[in-house]
Amino acid sequence: MRAFESARAGGVVDTAVGMPKSREEMYEFYEFIRKQTRDAESREGGGLEFPAGYMFKDVPHWEEGELDDPVAWLIAELDRHGITQAIVHVEDEDGQRAVREHPDRFFAGINIDPNDGMDAVRKIARYAKEWDLKCVGAFPAGLYPQVALNDKKFFPIYAKCIEVDVTFASTVGVPGPRIPFTPQHVEFLDEICWFFPELRFVTRHGCEPWTALAVKLLLKWPNLYYSTTAFAPKHYPKDIVDYANTRGADKVMFSGYFPAGLSYDRQFAELPDIPFRDNVWPKFLRENAQRAFKLPSTPAAG
Amino acid sequence: MAMPSDVGIIDLMIGLPVADRRHNYDFLRAQLHDKESLEEFEFPVQYMFKDVPKVEEKSDPVAYLLELMDHYNIEKGMIGASKVGDAAYRAMKDHPDRFFGSMQVDPNAGMDGVRDLVRAYEEVGVKAATAFPAGLNPQVAINDKKFYPLYAKCIELDIPICVCAGVPGPRVPMAPQRVELIDEVCWYFPELKFVTRHGCEPWADLAVKLMLKWPNLYYSTSAFAPKHYPKDIINYANTRGADKIMYAGYFPMGLSLERIFTDMPGVPFRDHVWPKFLRENAIRVFKLDE
Repeated sequence: MRAFESARAGGVVDTAVGMPKSREEMYEFYEFIRKQTRDAESREGGGLEFPAGYMFKDVPHWEEGELDDPVAWLIAELDRHGITQAIVHVEDEDGQRAVREHPDRFFAGINIDPNDGMDAVRKIARYAKEWDLKCVGAFPAGLYPQVALNDKKFFPIYAKCIEVDVTFASTVGVPGPRIPFTPQHVEFLDEICWFFPELRFVTRHGCEPWTALAVKLLLKWPNLYYSTTAFAPKHYPKDIVDYANTRGADKVMFSGYFPAGLSYDRQFAELPDIPFRDNVWPKFLRENAQRAFKLPSTPAAG
Repeated sequence: MAMPSDVGIIDLMIGLPVADRRHNYDFLRAQLHDKESLEEFEFPVQYMFKDVPKVEEKSDPVAYLLELMDHYNIEKGMIGASKVGDAAYRAMKDHPDRFFGSMQVDPNAGMDGVRDLVRAYEEVGVKAATAFPAGLNPQVAINDKKFYPLYAKCIELDIPICVCAGVPGPRVPMAPQRVELIDEVCWYFPELKFVTRHGCEPWADLAVKLMLKWPNLYYSTSAFAPKHYPKDIINYANTRGADKIMYAGYFPMGLSLERIFTDMPGVPFRDHVWPKFLRENAIRVFKLDE
């Protein structure tokens, strides 16, 4: 507990932060997932405003008109929890404003879709030129059509990330939304890390249920990292916590799921109960993310 | 129908003559299994090529080649470098008016291969990448993911890639060079200028279908003596494909220029096709006027 608090006082990095949006906007946003679902509950949306809503009981939400300045709102929320650096999407106007106005606080990320072919490659090049781009993200199971992580369509994307020296982050493991999991199988990471040893690859969304394999691969491939996105701390896989406490102290990093599915109140209420060893906490909360995404290391926050 | 004599020919495959070629094909040996190829052949396809050009030891292979090119009215030749700094690489640097370069790529090299291509482009202005999928060790199919970063890079550099397609002569498996694999590549990379080498046989009819379908797919006649040019290809050049078929030779690898240009006038191209075939298509596709 004391180790957690003192590590937190040195600053926390969240590598996947969304801009708060109203319920209506989020419902529209998730259309890309809904169109690939086939079960009535997901399709009609009624029960599941959020396509993985059957798992997430307290999704943060705002009504329309409640958010006149999402950036200010987000900063207040980050301050309240001691989060000193956050990667946000700069395809989003609010995300752009956040990075421009608060360059020490917010860092630029984008998402890509390999179905766009060379346009996706050029998008990375363009954003890398215009922004100090830190992260190229993907959601292979959510693409339309789906694209497996080791599919040839991803290969030019990986090559471009290496060329512009930007970290790639992807959801890996069974996806929450009721769409096929195949494109996100953990075993695909092996081939990618073999062919592109220079690529810094950060997994998102848990790698479940193949966390034992994820640990084997994290051990095998120096540039492969794990981030805890979309998992409430009380659900962190035991394999991952054990690995962080042993040989993987430099490989596992905190990332939240705000505001998509988890509140920071929930996450920071549960975090102190994770049985990380004292030396792991500062690495987990901050240092590993700074290294994996090439973020500046921060002076201790006040 | 007569072959014109006043067209400065562009040869899309020519090499510096080297007398001692015993080690030129070492790269193939690891994948050859038959005794004849391993023990008896100096050139792995000599069962097909009866008169592989004999090259005498010349003090200056570049001067010798230029002399031959003058004799056959070859204005420019594309020579291939397989690594940064080799003899071909130097020749293209020293004689930019007569030679333009291509860079041989191996997708097995991953990002290092991509970077070598960029370097060759920046240092000597190579006009194309080239690849021999069945000759790689391990082999890499035309539509294999390992090729994709190279295809993307060719698009970024705006240069074509010339790839052997069809059954390879050396006795290695043909699978990586099936013509049908080109379809997927042209679909995913519509901007990629893809030029086939070495005939596309026996799927020349499929090659024609695909050339019609994909605007950026082209065919070059490397490694074929003109008397063996596939009939499908000649017909296509004479009809809808006049802008798609380009001359490439095979000297000194397997055919003498004498053989090639003795056969050549016998090819029944229509009048308007000849200049496109010998010169104009290459200038356009390889951007030789820039």
